[in-house]
Amino acid sequence: MKEVEVTFTINGEKVSADVKPYETLLETLRERLYLTGAKEACSLGSCGACTIILDGIPVRSCLILTPEVEGKNITTVEGLGKDGTLHPLQEAFMEKGAVQCGFCTSGMILTAKALLDRQKKPSKNQIIRTISSNICRCTGYKKIIEAVMSAAEKMRAT
Amino acid sequence: MILPEFEYRKPKTVKKALQLYQACRGNAVVYLSGGTDLVPRIKQRLEKPSVVIDLKNITGLNKIELFRSWLKVGANVTLYELKNHPFVKDALPALADSLEATACETIQMRGTIGGNVLQDTRCLFYNKSDEWRKARGYCLKMGGQVCNAVKGAKMCFANYAGDNAPSLITLGAHASLSGIDGKRQVPLDAIFSGKSGRPFALKSGEILTHILIPTIKTRGGYLKIRVRDSIDYPLVGVAVSLVNGKGCVAIGAIGGKPVYFEFDENETGWDQRIAQVAESRVTPVANTVLSPSYRKKMVSVLVKRIARKLEEENKL
Repeated sequence: MKEVEVTFTINGEKVSADVKPYETLLETLRERLYLTGAKEACSLGSCGACTIILDGIPVRSCLILTPEVEGKNITTVEGLGKDGTLHPLQEAFMEKGAVQCGFCTSGMILTAKALLDRQKKPSKNQIIRTISSNICRCTGYKKIIEAVMSAAEKMRAT
Repeated sequence: MILPEFEYRKPKTVKKALQLYQACRGNAVVYLSGGTDLVPRIKQRLEKPSVVIDLKNITGLNKIELFRSWLKVGANVTLYELKNHPFVKDALPALADSLEATACETIQMRGTIGGNVLQDTRCLFYNKSDEWRKARGYCLKMGGQVCNAVKGAKMCFANYAGDNAPSLITLGAHASLSGIDGKRQVPLDAIFSGKSGRPFALKSGEILTHILIPTIKTRGGYLKIRVRDSIDYPLVGVAVSLVNGKGCVAIGAIGGKPVYFEFDENETGWDQRIAQVAESRVTPVANTVLSPSYRKKMVSVLVKRIARKLEEENKL
């Protein structure tokens, strides 16, 4: 089947790629651009492991066709750190021990980042509500919630 | 999970989308908006399209505006945008509750109201991988000979698991549709066929362009039962709306379409009566992870919970 040319910005860099019309964004990220931070788990939009930020909104990349993102701006976990410095959320996840197997972590961090970008001071309940859309089978969420609260505090202070 | 091969098209107007649909006739064509319901179905081979027409770029379908005595909501408006609209928050509590209860926040930011209303019916024996269904033998909804949920049954019992259509029905919402024969506006209930196998009574290629909600301040609420509270589809959903003592109850997630009835708040014991009527109107079968008897009982429980909330609000 004829491929479709798609141009979009990913982590600040403009990218053009010829993709299959039925290719998911997750496939493009992992298998064409080698950005393997977004993970494939349920593949049906239930788990949130493949979450990326599309024009400021957290989305499941397994449910998006790559031709749909023409002209859009994408952030993946690889684009969070700058000049060798980690994002406050990444730091907080390490400090609080919010990572065990790590499979859900990139999705968790990006879902949390989108929340903190639109709300500087979310309540604990808001964080729980937002994070509950992502599945973690190791940590029991407590450490993840603590990490997001701690990162929110740090980000407000800077 | 890899998607099957299909072509992707991106028209900019409703007219072009309809022309494209006509041009592709003879092929399996589906409309795409947010994709949160459609893409998993394609992945599970429940839909096998040869052409996917993306409606997201159609200008005018992503706005919420006041139009005469209606709140005119474009079909491409996301559930999150609608949930945060001041009029919805202030005047349409049943809809505000059902939007809040739909999936999770991340899905609400991508999923659209049009797609949510037009989602396919669901069944424990249907929404499975192709291998699972093949091993068991295809059910009626897949083109097989017999229902796999109710042994020997020659009809489909899949449930319409949309959260927002029941709320919209209690609010007296209408659907605005565009087809090759022109536009039409119908009460929302009229888009349902009542048949679980093919739940919608839309004409071939017809596009849901807007949902129209009367701009009347209402009281009400929506409650649902689900297993994973953060994301699941409803296994029972109940919406109640009231205006000047006249009310409407709609029950979703049991059967192929929302069931609804009207009531008078001024009648003595209205809350107990509507709970009984609601329970008597539904006949769940064993096609979800919860038992039919539990789901039936929970219909009246949810109605009573909403009625209690309304009475408490009245006292304030």
